[in-house]
Amino acid sequence: MASIWRSLLCLYPARYRREYGAEMLTVLLDVHAESSGQRWWPRCRTSAREAAGLVSGALHEHLRSITGLYRPIRSPRRFAMHSEFRFPNSTAALMIVIFAAVVMAIEKATAIASSQWPRTNTPLGPIRPAGFTFLPTMAVIFAIAALAGTVGWLVLFALRRSGVHRLSEFDPAGGRGRSLKDVQLNVNE
Amino acid sequence: MESLPVTEPVLLILLSLAREPRHGYAILRDTEEMSEGRVRLSTGTLYGALRRLLEDGWIERFGEEDSSRGRQAYRLTSAGRRNLQAEVSRLKHLTRVASLRVARRES
Repeated sequence: MASIWRSLLCLYPARYRREYGAEMLTVLLDVHAESSGQRWWPRCRTSAREAAGLVSGALHEHLRSITGLYRPIRSPRRFAMHSEFRFPNSTAALMIVIFAAVVMAIEKATAIASSQWPRTNTPLGPIRPAGFTFLPTMAVIFAIAALAGTVGWLVLFALRRSGVHRLSEFDPAGGRGRSLKDVQLNVNE
Repeated sequence: MESLPVTEPVLLILLSLAREPRHGYAILRDTEEMSEGRVRLSTGTLYGALRRLLEDGWIERFGEEDSSRGRQAYRLTSAGRRNLQAEVSRLKHLTRVASLRVARRES
């Protein structure tokens, strides 16, 4: 694991790495040691977060060293508090379903191709999908699944940002919302 | 300069250094604890913020350097402490106003 972190740290500019590299590596290893007691899913998430943080941090530092851009600590984006980033479970499920569907479709197609065509004794010979090897197929499947997942996630993300999910929590007849009585009280005021 | 607020991760980092000097990993743990698990900084984010705070003189390196500089501790400078106090009083004012407004709407 240390070698992975070290290679990711290599993404940083040399000056930055000389100054903070050893320290960051220690912290990364501490985080890793702490997460090693957990189950695989939280561990994966921790590693992914750290890797993403390193990549984006390296990008920032490079941009900064190229453009000389100075980002002050006091930034006007204080209230743009980021909502928690979550990869929705529904997207993961969607990706799995699509993946399974694609695999099944290919399976069926190969089954049809191999069962039907060899029996017809035409001079053309059996029509078989050419160059249908395992690895490229898997790559294509993965690309399709990733694309579909990204689109699905974007849609869900857009819906979430637009606040559609709050509509289901809205209770016009009372509960935590303003009831008719409240409105009348306010009018009396 | 005093008008613009700091981001939430930076505020948490400053708060975790407010009581005592800490090194990187301790800051990570402390920010997570303070925000009840809501803010989980990655090492890259943390050091991006630390670098900016160092350059602006809000924090400084503290203590003798360890053998491999693996555990460099940081502490607030007096300027950093002053800025943190200003930020905290700004937030206090904000929450007071917010609670007043929200309470008025509910009553």
